[in-house]
Amino acid sequence: MGIRSFLSLEDAGREDLREILDLARAHAEGRVGGTLAGKTVCLAFFEASTRTAVSFELAARRSGADVISLSEQGSAICKGESLVDTVVTLDSLGADALVLRHPAAGAAALASRHTSAPVINAGDGCGQHPTQALLDLYALSEAVGGFDELANRRVAVVGDVLHSRVARSVIPAFQKAGMEISLVAPRTLLPSDAGAWGLPVLPSVDDALDWGAEVLYALRLQKERMTGARIPSVGEYARYYGVSGRHLRGGALVMHPGPVNRGVEISGDVVLDAASLVPNQVAAGVAVRSAVLAVATGAVDRVAA
Amino acid sequence: MIPDKAGNAELVIRHAHVLDPRAGLDGVMDVRLTEGRVSEVGENLRGTRKLDADGLHLFPGFVDVHAHWRTPGREDEETIESGSASAAAGGFTGVVMMPNTDPIVDSPVIVSGLMRRIEKESRVRARVSAALHVGLRGERLTEMRLLKEAGAFCVSDDGLGTASAGVLRNGMTYARSAGLPLILHCEDHTLATGVVHDGVAASLAGIPGSPASAEDVATAMALILAAETGAKTHVTHVSTALSAALVAFFKDRADVTADTTPHHLTLTDDLVSTLEGLYRVNPPLRPDAEREGVGDALRTGVLDFVATDHAPHASEEKELPLEEAAPGFLGHETAFAAIYTELVMTGKLTLPRLVEAMSCAPGGWVGEGGSVTVGEPADLALVDLSEKWTVDAGTMISRSSNSPYLGKTLTGRVVGTIVGGEMVYDRTGAKLGTRG
Repeated sequence: MGIRSFLSLEDAGREDLREILDLARAHAEGRVGGTLAGKTVCLAFFEASTRTAVSFELAARRSGADVISLSEQGSAICKGESLVDTVVTLDSLGADALVLRHPAAGAAALASRHTSAPVINAGDGCGQHPTQALLDLYALSEAVGGFDELANRRVAVVGDVLHSRVARSVIPAFQKAGMEISLVAPRTLLPSDAGAWGLPVLPSVDDALDWGAEVLYALRLQKERMTGARIPSVGEYARYYGVSGRHLRGGALVMHPGPVNRGVEISGDVVLDAASLVPNQVAAGVAVRSAVLAVATGAVDRVAA
Repeated sequence: MIPDKAGNAELVIRHAHVLDPRAGLDGVMDVRLTEGRVSEVGENLRGTRKLDADGLHLFPGFVDVHAHWRTPGREDEETIESGSASAAAGGFTGVVMMPNTDPIVDSPVIVSGLMRRIEKESRVRARVSAALHVGLRGERLTEMRLLKEAGAFCVSDDGLGTASAGVLRNGMTYARSAGLPLILHCEDHTLATGVVHDGVAASLAGIPGSPASAEDVATAMALILAAETGAKTHVTHVSTALSAALVAFFKDRADVTADTTPHHLTLTDDLVSTLEGLYRVNPPLRPDAEREGVGDALRTGVLDFVATDHAPHASEEKELPLEEAAPGFLGHETAFAAIYTELVMTGKLTLPRLVEAMSCAPGGWVGEGGSVTVGEPADLALVDLSEKWTVDAGTMISRSSNSPYLGKTLTGRVVGTIVGGEMVYDRTGAKLGTRG
């Protein structure tokens, strides 16, 4: 395994991804367990989370770790303690891994410079969300028949790319898996340097299907931004960037990192359609995060042995 | 073209002096129109229906990207029917209607309603500009893609400048992705607190003025953002030399075009000393140096074309003290003659450049017409360059009469306008000879 850091997937190679997914599958099938026995995992979630927080906690506990959960309200952060001082405290108390969710991009990288424990980025502002990308790869590869089956498939990443840490992790992950990617978003919801990715930008979900998208990866549109100055209305957004039943006729699969704004990014009937991998993505969370914790703490070597 | 009783959908215009700088035409010749399009340009063309245009000039029809036809909401001032008739009387064959009506054109249903009315009522090719922001308030973007589907041609918050650079940047970015060009009224309202130009005339008259910088600051902002966002941006009614210079600077850095108006080319702020509400307009009439600068910019092509900002007002809104009057002038019917009289006849502008600025360039911008070329729509203006006429409220075709040229004698007059091969304005049937 070539990587230990889970701040982003920038340093991960194709084989790294395959190994993590294989390890995740081993966890899912109950072939490994207790890999974190005797270790302490600290879950520091300084921003709201349901799926990520719960699946990390389940992953840590099922792997046998002691778990410490911190939130902003329940920590000295609310008394004015800096993130760095909080991390130093956790380091001193002997945390073996720090899982950090924070509203500012770069927070996980900053934390990693102040602790000897591995830091797993569980989402930092608009920056990165590497474990989300891994579980997406896992769910998709399971759906199409294996990791190697991802190569050369076309995926359209649809929606609010600008504010999406998921997009910033899932795009390189899909690329490393050999997939072709397009972006489907109004220009106001794309980074001004979106061209740096070298990806085609398409004007609607229909255009994405014409382009040959087999997977429609919808991103969450934050409600507070819906009627702001970046898009005119929910109605117009849903018309061009929402995935509805008619888009599935050609066999396209639908993904979404959650939580879903039903009727906006995805119409209500599509969320639970057979073409929807949304439940699969959520279900993949525990296995993938178990694998990530095992790799990050070095326990994977014992697994391999 | 509507066929005659014999079913003949063809017309030959004979012996007109055809002037179309884009097509390279400048001389007496005949033009054949077939089924709404120019089908042949040459000499001694024969046809069963003909117009004898001896002594007249034939230009590509004028195109005005900035007009207020007051529909919906103020049909007492103008309607699509009267506005288009007024446009036709000025030689205009294409017009863009601005969205600052009552209600404002900021929803697809209003656009589609206007499109239906245009189909029924307009004598010329009318296009709809929808609002860029809901209510022109510079806050929420309009549903531009749905507006486009409903028929909107472009977007504009005309009448108001966009106060926030951040808001405008998003608007331009979204408009670009929606495939809609923007027409921008550039004015900083923290500077534009007066009602006329902030200069000598205003000072002497005791009228609160707005400085030229109110326009220049907003123009600079718009152009910088146009360069950054790549949005197709048209700066309308440029009235200062510095704004024109800014446009020049950004010409090869952004997808930008610009226009100025007949009144900013021909009138100055001396008129405000009369304190008459008739002379209030926005942007305000400027001093001579600004007028000269704007004229030079039009001459050299920095300002791409002329747009009238045709703004009809009921008499009760203009017959007021200048400070209380509504801003705006009629424009369609006097545009060509005013510029021809003041700039062409004085040698400041060539006639071909004027035709380029009123026909070819704006026609190119809207993507249709603007040239007497085989295959192009037969949108044409017949003009008598020798006719002198005095602008008179009683003969205006617009429902309003707030022209700043009332009482002035101008030279050059539109005598016939053809849209899609059909005569939509025909002032002198005798002069045009026998039709049919």
